[in-house]
Amino acid sequence: MNQWLDERLHISRLNDKFLRKAFPVHHSFFLGEITLFSLIILILTGILLALSYEPSNSLVVNSFDPGTTDAPNLIPAAYHSALKINAQPFGDMLRRIHHWTANIMVAASVLHMMRIYFTGAFKKPREINWWIGMLLLIFTALTAVTGYVLPYDNYAYNTLQVIYGIAGSIPWVGEWVAQAAFAGKFPGDGIIPRVYGYHIMLLPGILLALTGAHMLLMIKQKHTQPQYAKRVAYKKIVGVPLMGQQTPIMLLLTFAFAGIIVLFSAFIPVHPVEYFGPPSTTPINNIKPDWYLLWVFGVLAIIPSFEFHLLGGVIGSEFMGAIVVPTLAILAMFAVPMLDRSKENLYYAENPTNYPVRLGAGVAFMALLVVWSVAGYKPELISAGILTTANANTVLWIASFLVPALSYFAVQAIVRGIRSLRESDARDRANFQAADD
Amino acid sequence: MTRYKRQDPEMSRRRFINMAMGTTAAVGGVSLLSVLGAANPVFRLTRDKMPPLKGDILVHASNNKEGQPILLSELNEQLVRAWPMGKNENGENVIRKGDPNNLVALYRFPRGQIIQPTNLEVTIDGEVVAYSDICTHAGCTVADSDTRAGAMKCPCHSGEYDPKRAAIVVGGPPPRKLAQLPIAQQGQNIVVTGFFLTNPYGYSTEEEWESFTKEVEEQLA
Repeated sequence: MNQWLDERLHISRLNDKFLRKAFPVHHSFFLGEITLFSLIILILTGILLALSYEPSNSLVVNSFDPGTTDAPNLIPAAYHSALKINAQPFGDMLRRIHHWTANIMVAASVLHMMRIYFTGAFKKPREINWWIGMLLLIFTALTAVTGYVLPYDNYAYNTLQVIYGIAGSIPWVGEWVAQAAFAGKFPGDGIIPRVYGYHIMLLPGILLALTGAHMLLMIKQKHTQPQYAKRVAYKKIVGVPLMGQQTPIMLLLTFAFAGIIVLFSAFIPVHPVEYFGPPSTTPINNIKPDWYLLWVFGVLAIIPSFEFHLLGGVIGSEFMGAIVVPTLAILAMFAVPMLDRSKENLYYAENPTNYPVRLGAGVAFMALLVVWSVAGYKPELISAGILTTANANTVLWIASFLVPALSYFAVQAIVRGIRSLRESDARDRANFQAADD
Repeated sequence: MTRYKRQDPEMSRRRFINMAMGTTAAVGGVSLLSVLGAANPVFRLTRDKMPPLKGDILVHASNNKEGQPILLSELNEQLVRAWPMGKNENGENVIRKGDPNNLVALYRFPRGQIIQPTNLEVTIDGEVVAYSDICTHAGCTVADSDTRAGAMKCPCHSGEYDPKRAAIVVGGPPPRKLAQLPIAQQGQNIVVTGFFLTNPYGYSTEEEWESFTKEVEEQLA
C-alpha cells in the first residue's frame, strides 16, 4: 500500500520534507503544541455545542418555567438553548470543557510567547512568525470574547453592552462601527446571529489560516535549537523526528492534557448561566472580564474622567483606556523583533541572563500588566478597606510606574548575581585545572 | 540627431495584464465595500424605542414588578429602576424598553438634601429625583454604591455619581454626569414632563441629543 500511495502522492518526498522534521527536546517547546491542541479541542467541542445552540435573541417561552398564559416567562432563545444544553446529558460538561480549554489556550499561548521572547527566538529570520503569533493572540482573545456573549445571560448582556460601548467610543466613526459590527443599535434583533457568525465562522477561519501559516513557517525555518545542541553537534539540527518519536510524545501530551481539562471541567464549574439569569436591568455586582483582559478593565477603572472635543469628534476616557492604551501595548509587542538589529540568523535559543535588558524589559512589561490587572479589583480593594475611594487611583497609578521600574532593577541585580556566581565557578574550575597541572 | 521612439502597434501584453488586474481589483474592492454597507441595518425609531417623553408614566423595571406604576411611597434612598410607559399609535400602553438606555433611576431623599446643581424645579417637592440609569462611560446600568449609602456606583468600571448633586461624576472614568429627567407628581403616578435635560448615554454632545429629540418630536407630530 505504501508503494501505491507513494506513486500517487509522493509520500516519500513528504516524508523527507515534513514528516522527518526534527523537534528539539526541551519541555518549554511543548507550550506551542498545547496551544494547538487547545484549538483542536475547542473546534471539536464547539461543533458539538453548535449542534444544540440556537443563535437568536428573539424571546421564547422558557420551557423549564413557562409562567402563566397571561404572563408567560419569556427569555431569549439563545439563553434558553444554553439552559437546554445544560440539561442534556454531558451538556454542561461540554460547555465547561469548551470554556476551560479557551482559558488554557490563551494561557498556553501567552507562556509560549514568553518563551519565544526570553530566548530571543523572535530574532532574524523568525520576525514574521512573531507577528503572525501576535495576530493569533489577538484573534484568540477576540474569539474568546465573542464566545462569552453567546449564552446571552445577564453576564453576556452586560459584557456585550461594554464591548458595544467601547466600539462606539472611537471618535468620529464609533457609532457607525458599533452598529455595523453588532447589527444595529444595541441590542438589535440581529445581535446574537451576528456574534454567532463571528464566533463560529469568521474568527475560527482566521485562526486556522494563521495557525497554518505559523506552522508552515516554523517547518520552513526550523525551530531554534536549544543550547545543548551547540555542544552536541555545532550548526547541526538536533532533535527527534516528527514521525516515530515526536508523534507518540505529542499524542501522550494530547491525551494527558485532554484528561486534565476533563478533570478540571468535572470539578470546577465555569460560567453558570442559571446563576446569572436572562438579560435584565439589574446590573451584576463586581462583574469582571476573564483574566487575560483584566488589565484593560483595570486601566478603565483607574483612568481619570475626561472628555474633549476635536473637530466634531469626542475623545473620552473610554476610548483612551479601552482602545488607545491596549493598542500601544500591542504595538510595543509587535515592535519587539524590530528592536533587534543583528544581521545574523539565529540558530540557538539564548540564555535570558545573557540579555539582561531584554529580560528586565519583559519582566517590567508583565509587571505593568499585573499591576493593571490588580487595578481591575479596585472596587474590592476599596470594599476590603485596603484602599479608599480617595486614594485608590493615586496609589494604583504610582504602582503602575513604580512596580515595573523596581522589577526591572531587581532583574538586573539578580542577573548580576548569577553572573558573578558563574564567573567565580569558572575561576574555581580554572584554579583546579591549574593545580592539577 | 533624430529622436526616434518606437511605436508599438498594439498594447504590450504586460501592460494589458496589469491594467486588467487593476480594474478587477478596483471593481472587486468596491463590491466588497458594498457588503460592509449591508452589515449595518436600517434603524426604525418605533414608539418602544423612543426616549422618555412628556406625559409618560414611570413604571417598575425590576423583573417581578415590571409594568406596575411606581408610587411615591415606594421610593427611598435606595435606587428604584423605572421604565417610561407611554402610548403607541393605537393609544395602548407601551413600555419603552426597546432601547435599554431608557432606563431611569429614581431616588427619594429628605427635603433639603438634594442640592444644586440639580434642577430642583423638575424634581417632586425637592425630594424625588430621576436620572438616566445608564453610565455615561460604557453604557452599563448604574447601581447603588455598596460602600456609601445614597451614592451611585457603576459595577462595570467603578464610575461613581452623586445623586444628590445632579448625579455629577465623583469617581472613576465616566466623562459626564447622568442626565436628569424632569418629573412631576400626577395623582398617584410619577409623570415625565420633558426630555432628559442633558445628553444621556449614547449621545456624546448636546447637539446630537437635541437633533435626536427634534427627530422624535417630528415623528410624533
